[in-house]
Amino acid sequence: MTSRWRRSVDELALRGRQRGECERAQEALGRVTSCFQQLAASLGSSADGSFLRDEMDETRNLAQRICRGLSRRLLRLLSDCGPAPSGLEDRQVLDCGPAPSGVEDRQVSERLWVLFLSALETFLSDLRKACDLIGRFPLRQRYDRRALVNTGCVDGVVAVAARVASVQAPWLTLEEEPTPDLTNHITELEAMLSEMQLRVPVAFWSVEATQPAGVEACGGLEGLEGLQEVEDSLEELMEGEIVSRRPACCCLSCVG
Amino acid sequence: MTIRNTLQDHGQRYRPRMACLKKSEKVLLEMQDPKTGLKSQPQRLVITTIPHAITGEDIIAWLADRFQIDTQEARSFGSMLVALGYIYPLQDHKRLVIKPDSSLYRFQTPYFWPTQQWPVEDTDYAIYLAKRNIRKKGILELHEQEHYNRLHKWMNHKWDFIVMQAKEQYRAAKERKKPDRVVFDCQERAYWVVHRPPPGTVTAMDYGLDRQVDPNSDEAITPDFYERIMIFTQQSIMRPRVKSSVSIGALVKYCATYNNHDPFLSRCLPSNPWVTDDVTYWTLNMPCVEIPTKMRVERWTFSFAELLSDTRGRDDFRLFLKKEFSGENLAFWEACEDLKWGEAASIKEKAEHIYKTFLARGAPRWINIDGKTMEVTVKGLKHPHRYVLDPAQTHIYMLMKKDSYGRYQKSPVFKDTVKKAICPDEHRFSCAQLEQNSKKRRPSLSPIILRQMEQEQRAKMAANIDITQLCRFTTPVPHLAVYSGFTDYPTATASPSLTFLAHTPACPSPISVALDSTSVSERRTETGEGEGEGNPAARAQVGGNVSKSRMALSLRRLLKGGCTPGTMFASLSPKCHSAASTSSRIQPISPDQPSQAPPRRTGNFFQIKVDIPPECRIYPIESEDEEEESRVASRGGVGAKEIICPWESLTTQNGTG
Repeated sequence: MTSRWRRSVDELALRGRQRGECERAQEALGRVTSCFQQLAASLGSSADGSFLRDEMDETRNLAQRICRGLSRRLLRLLSDCGPAPSGLEDRQVLDCGPAPSGVEDRQVSERLWVLFLSALETFLSDLRKACDLIGRFPLRQRYDRRALVNTGCVDGVVAVAARVASVQAPWLTLEEEPTPDLTNHITELEAMLSEMQLRVPVAFWSVEATQPAGVEACGGLEGLEGLQEVEDSLEELMEGEIVSRRPACCCLSCVG
Repeated sequence: MTIRNTLQDHGQRYRPRMACLKKSEKVLLEMQDPKTGLKSQPQRLVITTIPHAITGEDIIAWLADRFQIDTQEARSFGSMLVALGYIYPLQDHKRLVIKPDSSLYRFQTPYFWPTQQWPVEDTDYAIYLAKRNIRKKGILELHEQEHYNRLHKWMNHKWDFIVMQAKEQYRAAKERKKPDRVVFDCQERAYWVVHRPPPGTVTAMDYGLDRQVDPNSDEAITPDFYERIMIFTQQSIMRPRVKSSVSIGALVKYCATYNNHDPFLSRCLPSNPWVTDDVTYWTLNMPCVEIPTKMRVERWTFSFAELLSDTRGRDDFRLFLKKEFSGENLAFWEACEDLKWGEAASIKEKAEHIYKTFLARGAPRWINIDGKTMEVTVKGLKHPHRYVLDPAQTHIYMLMKKDSYGRYQKSPVFKDTVKKAICPDEHRFSCAQLEQNSKKRRPSLSPIILRQMEQEQRAKMAANIDITQLCRFTTPVPHLAVYSGFTDYPTATASPSLTFLAHTPACPSPISVALDSTSVSERRTETGEGEGEGNPAARAQVGGNVSKSRMALSLRRLLKGGCTPGTMFASLSPKCHSAASTSSRIQPISPDQPSQAPPRRTGNFFQIKVDIPPECRIYPIESEDEEEESRVASRGGVGAKEIICPWESLTTQNGTG
């Protein structure tokens, strides 16, 4: 009996470590996907080019490796724990140790699960958009550049790429695979998404936010206060003109 | 040639969804050409300079030149591009219009283009709002704050992800150089102004329901594709044609007639709800409003179809017909509409009902259609389908249109309505009031509630019969009760006698017509096996001069006896027979039915006999109950089914035989 208790404590510790790993990986994934969005926003614009597209490939490769690892670990985490405690099943008591912490365990894991799936969906929609845009603006020939939209962006996205490169994830050094093709990448992610949803039944709505609304507004972004001042004045600059009154009739005569 | 009622489209026509998007994209790409496209200039900000800004007047000039259109149209076109989100204004970013001056615009990056296959996700909007929250330190605009709270509630499960992602995106954006960061922020902001517009603005992205198939995608060329082209072409060839002079004339006439009534082409009194967010116009023009507006009443004079399609107009017309005692035409027409547009399961029952009430010999609300049509209809009723009553309905429609409609417009009823019609004053809202109106917008009543209200109204109408006019010969039947099989009347009410309508004010029966046409002779030779219970009674009545006064059945009897309304109406025939004998007068349709009782009167098919039995008097209906019931009992339950429809014959025969 003592050995069973010890085993369950060990299990708890292991699971705690795994969860920590997953959380860090989740943050890394968030970083990579937001960088990917910045890159994708320049597709088809005057800042588009082969450098941009190479960087995009690198980024999504990284994202793919994180996703694969994360999905595997989350699946393991949640299938180990067994189905959500419903009060009717006894075997989970054996699996997850004493009931109360087992429930908390489960909740934390489910939260990670939901966060990962949301991130996956957002990333997938970005990938689809990128795929479509690359199809529309293939830069195979020189004169294709004429079709690019003059959006005012001229910079390459060097710094963004650097940020991507700085991302650390626990298992990245271990798995080294070539970048899949964009369409294959999308298909793979879709398959991953549906597989995860089928394998483990998780009730999305039972997960709650850990912070109240609006907390992000109250600072907490370290080291950015100075820059923010300048930012605001820029914004004010952009909004130079007073919002003029709306006349009595509809502004847009015939639209759509 | 007239233009038919354009309102009842029933979605039969192809409606493209945002085909303008693909076309706009082409135009936009053309604008990028370094030689023939738009010339851009740098935008000077305090700390930096951002290239590729274009002025409004340049855009308009380029469009006018490229498409060879005038400035006004180029301006509208340009505004459309801005409203769709392909170009965004740098100053006054919330107003999506092109100003024909030196105000600056910029092209939107393709990532933020509005394309139909990329749905606009709420998750992305939540992330954007969180980012704005971070930047503005919690000071969001009112509508943004509302959206934020709503999304926080509904996306609570992924809220952590949203906040995390917002922070990451904020940091990632910071990695870019300052001018690019500004540009990206402007782009993103413009994107959300288009897709989540502040309240009170008109958005160009409203396109109705999503289609399953992308209308802009190329269709796969298969044999099926060509087959459909062939069918379409064949049908086009078979279509009837009209000379263009005629059709154009009709269009011109239509436009001239309706020009003042179009709420967008001319004024809308008191004000156009879509523009001012004030719903007085809709409340004044509700279907069952007491006093209609002048414009509405004027529309009734445009054509008969207009009058009928407007519920209020139809009510007025019904009132007029009631005074003229020819309401059965309208009732029949409405019954046919109900059949046409109703559920498939109820078609047979409704057709039966209509036959018993309007078409059969001796029917309580017999309508006057010519022999040929009657024959065709009756034959068709053997296998009833949705459109079986079309010829008869058309005939009656034309009858009403040519005859009653004209008289209606000269009648006191209509003149009274015209006099009472109101003409509201135009609203003049100030900008502040308009803002307030837009905040006070509320969704309209749910269609479920509206339907319940309609049904209550119908019940009220059906139950609301004038008692003083009660006479089995004169009182009009609430048509709705007749054909809808409406039996939910409150038993407690004293009124409801469901007697039938008389044609002329002189109180004759509408149904004392002998069927003398060939169809009748056909019927006479029929040998009967299926009249069922009706027959013995009928036979008993043959030849006898039964000048008995007819009993009007009360509703209570209807409910007690559990008769179908059809039965009851049949028994209301004023031909002074007892209830049972009615069956003889409603001849069965199929050729193999006997005519047990020859019609009592010979004569012209179209003859309307004025034949009021001497005992006719205005009965208070309730007292008839006991007498009637005893009579029924004496007949030994015969006559429970007075009107036989031929398609029922077999069943009744099996029942009694």
